[in-house]
Amino acid sequence: MQRRRVMSVALVVGCMILSVPLFAHHGNVAYDTSKAVVLKGATVTKFVWANPHTFIMFDVKDEAGNVQHWSGEAGSPSSLRLLGWTQSSLHPGDLITVYIYASKTGNPVGRLNRIVLADGTELKDSALGYREVE
Amino acid sequence: MRNSVRGSVIAAGVGLAFSWQVAAQTDAATRIVEQRPPTLYQKLEKLGPGGPAPRRDLLGSWTGPLEPQLGVAPPMTPLGEARYKLNVPDPFSAHSNDPWGTCDPFGFPRGMTNETRGVAFAQMPGRIVIMTQYGKIWRSVWMDGRELPKDVGGKGGPDATWYGYSVGHWDGDYTLVVNTNGVDERTWLDRRGYPHSLDMRVEERYKRVDHNTLELTVTVDDPKIYTKPFVVATNRYRWIPNQEDEEQLCVPSEMIDYIKTIAIPAGQDQAVGKK
Repeated sequence: MQRRRVMSVALVVGCMILSVPLFAHHGNVAYDTSKAVVLKGATVTKFVWANPHTFIMFDVKDEAGNVQHWSGEAGSPSSLRLLGWTQSSLHPGDLITVYIYASKTGNPVGRLNRIVLADGTELKDSALGYREVE
Repeated sequence: MRNSVRGSVIAAGVGLAFSWQVAAQTDAATRIVEQRPPTLYQKLEKLGPGGPAPRRDLLGSWTGPLEPQLGVAPPMTPLGEARYKLNVPDPFSAHSNDPWGTCDPFGFPRGMTNETRGVAFAQMPGRIVIMTQYGKIWRSVWMDGRELPKDVGGKGGPDATWYGYSVGHWDGDYTLVVNTNGVDERTWLDRRGYPHSLDMRVEERYKRVDHNTLELTVTVDDPKIYTKPFVVATNRYRWIPNQEDEEQLCVPSEMIDYIKTIAIPAGQDQAVGKK
């Protein structure tokens, strides 16, 4: 029993530490990664499939009905392709749900956790998409 | 009891082996185990050696990790320190002067120390051509016995260039040695912003360990800037079975769009801090 616990600790610590160099490739310290903001009914206005980072621009209505213009970045095309994204994953006018770690500045910009397309397809970010959010 | 001792040894071993990386950890990383999708390089790591290395042959396409292992720079000269202070890395920071931020050419050796997902080698008369996937760059490595040019950037000498001048030779049957000089001073050694002078000499050693594995060591010798030569990066590449490359380009208009749309409103500059 004790052995199993120690082995588990070794495994978890090892995995955590190994993960750091990947995590550190491009920093996400500008974003509040403690919680993801959920934006439902977002309308895509632009999808930029580019190096170094892909990003999406989309409009969301707040509770008062005002349209907010958001932008969210994700990984590079090379990284996102491994998760099922392609250049044609999104088009202006698409309705999506966005899970995003917002900027600490309070501006409507952030790093994606994932997006959910109208047909239910989930597309995760290559850096922070591994996090499970409600 | 014996089992728990063995467990502790494993725990300590794992901790020690990677302890150098702990300093780079963020709070987020300590709480959550990251699970990125495996890259092509990681998938190919599982294929094994694939047989012995062919003699004097690196030709074809290889894939590397996203970034290599970067080396520790020795103390710099006063000129080196002064030049280093001028470089503000991280193209994702709005006020960085990283040449990457405007999609300037990486130049050499940065092309081999940053964004290293793909490299390929081809044979042309008298030379081997080394191509990097990122930016679709090619460099000529002259194998015909010529010497490196002298007095680059001086009167009567050839101009300094982003990727310099390169000559190569085989050290034994499995290691290609490439020597380079004449690199434009605007380029950085790597993403950390290390500078160099026009006097820099760089040696790359490509060792084909077996059919599927290529190891690279990049050594910089620049006495004007660094007090001794040092290994700026080591890397490891895997043979790509279907030989297909990806396109990876830094496109200036897209970078400008990114900085305006994401980096500045997100306050990336304040968040990452100046060097």
